[in-house]
Amino acid sequence: MNEPELAIENSRYGPRRLTVELTNVCNLHCSYCLRDEDALYHSPAHFFPVELLSRVLGDARECMQIEQVMFTGGEVTIHPAFGEIIETVAAHGLKCSFITNGWHFERVWPVVLKQRAAITHVAFSLDGATREAHDHWRGAGSFKRVVQALSRCWANDFPFLLKVGIRRDTVQDLERIAVFAARMGAAALSFAHLMPTSNDIATSLALTLDERAEAEREIALLARIFKMRIGIDVGYYNTELASPCSALSGVSANINYRGHLSLCCNLSGYRGGNGEEDVITDLNHEEFGVAFARLQQVAATQSELRIKALTDLAAIGAKADLTTGSPCLFCLNTMGKTPWDSLVQISPLTSDRQTLPLLS
Amino acid sequence: MTVNSNESSAASPVPHEHVIFTDLDGLEGVLVDLNTKKYYQLNETASVIWRGLEKRLPVADIARELTERYDVTLERAVSSIDRALHHFKAQKLIAT
Repeated sequence: MNEPELAIENSRYGPRRLTVELTNVCNLHCSYCLRDEDALYHSPAHFFPVELLSRVLGDARECMQIEQVMFTGGEVTIHPAFGEIIETVAAHGLKCSFITNGWHFERVWPVVLKQRAAITHVAFSLDGATREAHDHWRGAGSFKRVVQALSRCWANDFPFLLKVGIRRDTVQDLERIAVFAARMGAAALSFAHLMPTSNDIATSLALTLDERAEAEREIALLARIFKMRIGIDVGYYNTELASPCSALSGVSANINYRGHLSLCCNLSGYRGGNGEEDVITDLNHEEFGVAFARLQQVAATQSELRIKALTDLAAIGAKADLTTGSPCLFCLNTMGKTPWDSLVQISPLTSDRQTLPLLS
Repeated sequence: MTVNSNESSAASPVPHEHVIFTDLDGLEGVLVDLNTKKYYQLNETASVIWRGLEKRLPVADIARELTERYDVTLERAVSSIDRALHHFKAQKLIAT
């Protein structure tokens, strides 16, 4: 019996787009979140300026030919000018989507409805198909808020998708989550491997290479069974030399809540990370076009680094380990985002990972 | 159906915990039964009734609210509530 192939988007990298972090703050405290904890909870709240958004959208449309904008955070619905943000996208003839925990969705719903022509869909984060599973991570009442948000979308025929992290607790419920998403009327269900932000998270929540492969096979099977679109975000094991993601292929770019252009929203403000090699410049003081050209250089360099690591291993007949085989983990590791993992060395000359003993 | 003194003070059926109500626009609403994963779209009247059930209001109080909101008699209001409760029970949305 042939293994089902992983579902791949019709357009390999999706539409040309910007990802914009509307804010650094969030009203929830999910312990596995990949955003820096200080930025989320202990720093002054920054909200992406509408004027800056308007400028960069115009510039990005011209030099990057973007068609869409994806808003992320923090929690985007906290932005006090959320309505103006969406209006700005519409005014530029672009479309947008946003990801939200759903808690404040009722508050932004009038804007979402009014500007629905400019919004392709809303993505809701979900941590399980039950109140217990979801609220365990996001706090009491969160599941109810998400379901109410889904209800609004369903009643108004507004497309939405659900985004679910693949962790030890969710991996046993992939099918159940898919049934829930389908019955709730989701247009799509998107899974993504957990990106660990500490040794503790890595060992207690993240899956091993073999476990990830099994989860990916299951997701591919679900994608074949369900009419609803089911997929897995970039980060799955992929040793093809072609660009593994929109960021490295130049199809997307990220702008953080401070207005800094960077390579990818997954790397941006990574919890526990030291490196800022993914950050190009401050767009408050530099033109997007000039900055984007430098971003493409960084993307090209990173791609070459990845290709070299993979070809070196292939040359000696070694299988890429998880950190090399997962494009996201590779970038995190090589860009200094996972210093807690620095004791684990990847030797290209052997097929085994070498773990140094922890020194007391 | 006539409301007698016993029914007026009787507790209304209680919505099940696995049923979530969403107020759409202050008028209509949507119910989700998390056990069956089914949606139920409620018109204005049904939404008022459901909200009354959530507040544990007696049938008589819910009926009075309907007469205040809409140009209906108390008898008609109680009849609407009766029909709504019948539907809610049939779908196992409220405790019997």
